[in-house]
Amino acid sequence: MTIPKEVINWSILNEIISMDEDDPGFSKGLIIQFLEQASNTFEEMEVNVQQTRDLKKLDSLGHFLKGSSAALGLQSIAWVCERIQNLGRKKESGFSSTEDLGSMASSEDVTEDDAVYLDAIEKALVQARHEFSLVREELSEYYHCEL
Amino acid sequence: MNVTDSDMSVSRPGTANTTNNANSGAKAPSNDFVRKLFGILERCEYPDIVRWTEGGESFVVLDTGKFTTCILPNHFKHSNFASFVRQLNKYDFHKVKKTPEEKQYSQYGELSWEFKHPFFLVHNESALDNIKRKTTAQKKSSSNDNNNILGPFEHQAPHEISSTGSVPSNVVSKEKFNLLKKKVDKLQKELDISKHENNNAKLEFQKLNSKYNTMIESLLTFKTLNDNLVNNFGTLCTTLASKGVELPQTIYDYVNLNESLNKHTTAGNMQLKSFELNNGVDSMVPGRPPTLQSAPSNLTPAADSSFHGGLPNNGERDLRNESTENSILREGFHVLLVEDDAVCIQLCSKFLRKYGCTVEVVTDGLSAITTLEKFRYDLVLMDIVMPNLDGATATSIVRSFDNHTPIIAMTGNIEDQDLITYLQHGMNDILAKPFTRDDLHSMLIRYLRDRIPLSKQHEQRQTQSPSISQTTPHSQSHSRPPLREQQSIQAASEDGSRVASSTISESDINGLIQDEPLLKKQRV
Repeated sequence: MTIPKEVINWSILNEIISMDEDDPGFSKGLIIQFLEQASNTFEEMEVNVQQTRDLKKLDSLGHFLKGSSAALGLQSIAWVCERIQNLGRKKESGFSSTEDLGSMASSEDVTEDDAVYLDAIEKALVQARHEFSLVREELSEYYHCEL
Repeated sequence: MNVTDSDMSVSRPGTANTTNNANSGAKAPSNDFVRKLFGILERCEYPDIVRWTEGGESFVVLDTGKFTTCILPNHFKHSNFASFVRQLNKYDFHKVKKTPEEKQYSQYGELSWEFKHPFFLVHNESALDNIKRKTTAQKKSSSNDNNNILGPFEHQAPHEISSTGSVPSNVVSKEKFNLLKKKVDKLQKELDISKHENNNAKLEFQKLNSKYNTMIESLLTFKTLNDNLVNNFGTLCTTLASKGVELPQTIYDYVNLNESLNKHTTAGNMQLKSFELNNGVDSMVPGRPPTLQSAPSNLTPAADSSFHGGLPNNGERDLRNESTENSILREGFHVLLVEDDAVCIQLCSKFLRKYGCTVEVVTDGLSAITTLEKFRYDLVLMDIVMPNLDGATATSIVRSFDNHTPIIAMTGNIEDQDLITYLQHGMNDILAKPFTRDDLHSMLIRYLRDRIPLSKQHEQRQTQSPSISQTTPHSQSHSRPPLREQQSIQAASEDGSRVASSTISESDINGLIQDEPLLKKQRV
């Protein structure tokens, strides 16, 4: 499980862009909408990592953004979102050891345990933002305008 | 060892008394001691020391001191009165108890000891046979208490057991019991493990099953794609040939064979273009013929065989055209889209409209239920993770009043366990996110193929249901060229799945559609 090499899966995005034929600006509108949605979601994730420290909420935020980014073929963002989702469910450890996957049922020191996952999510969020900037760059170039 | 029956059941080596007594008297097996005592009393050798009582039902030791010093050493080879009493007790003699007053006025003196046994009677030697040594069980069992599970019981009631002489022969030792217990525990564990494994196996089977179905599906998609490719290649060959490009003889033969089918170069080009858009095959872009021109010689063998496999002759091609027209996805299906993500809503409804569907959107499970209570839809596309109520639960509620409408799960959670859950909740199928336009289309085909949209079923009946091939909206496709391209692909994919999935004739299906829920037939 490594992050996809290409930030954008163009065979998926091209299919959406092909819709512009009878609805000019469709794909661009969708992209702009997504970029806005992603920025907001990142903000919300940040709050949940730093303040509310709510893993469940982070799980659902990750799931949410994974859905829309994957639908647009923005696979690297989707990948990081899935990681955030899994970390929020404690299904994946920060150190990717398989042992942690099995023994997540009842940990006694909940708060300390959560901290590990929150830490990992924080790192993943930095990466997500990085991938986001790459996507924005590539799409701006494609649409010949600053997105 | 020569022991009696009653001794046998519990007798263990090392019980010296038992053995000695048994061996010393050959005629009277077990109660030599009793007989010896009887003899002394009968002969009345020491009337001052020991004698029968007046009634003859018991005997009395008048002087324990003399008894111990004179009689015991001579007759019983020891000088221990306590031993003698113990011996009597072993033969179930009992000391006749007396109150202090009774003792005081006893004719035999205050210090006399009176013993009795129901069968130890004056002048009655034959009764002695009934006097038996108590089983050693009491002594043994008390010493073996720890090893015997019946220990406590025996301890409480040693007399009952010994007097009847019937020690349970089915006694199980504690060791054995523990062993059995361990075995049972082990078996229980093994059973639990087996159960667990069985469950896992079932799960695994379900997983494999869903994987298998997915495989079949992708196989069909692949076949569709392949057919499509073959078509396009044929078109390409024709185009090239018409422009004077020389092709290897095998391809040329084929092109001649199918020339009549692909007369319209423009139409062919459009097909090609749509194919390229759908699959992202960059090398097929029409603006780059040089690559293709250099390629044919390499492609020949594969292309040649696939041509023959896909389109053996004109006759079959005609058949294909016919079925294409019959089983196309009709326009006007009303689809309910249940999705909470704005981007996905836009995208999915755009795709749906492309396929001629009308779309209504709700953004959570609860609204989906209330909407489905009020209106009918040809198909429902349902996200799983949503606010208020998740899609799976919503579906199970919808299924309580609507078993007909196909409900397709759209989800990124495509772990096998999840898939099983969705199906168990009454969802018909799963469209894995992210999906392409083709994925969506094959799903629409699977559930809406040969169906008449609900909105048109009314008028259909009024016009005495004309043959379906005539209802295909050709006129629309002229005004919207992209749709027409789409239809050509639909046709191909339709053809592919038809071949593989069923041999039911068109009229049969139409007949069924009128009155039976789609669900039953479509379940594989």
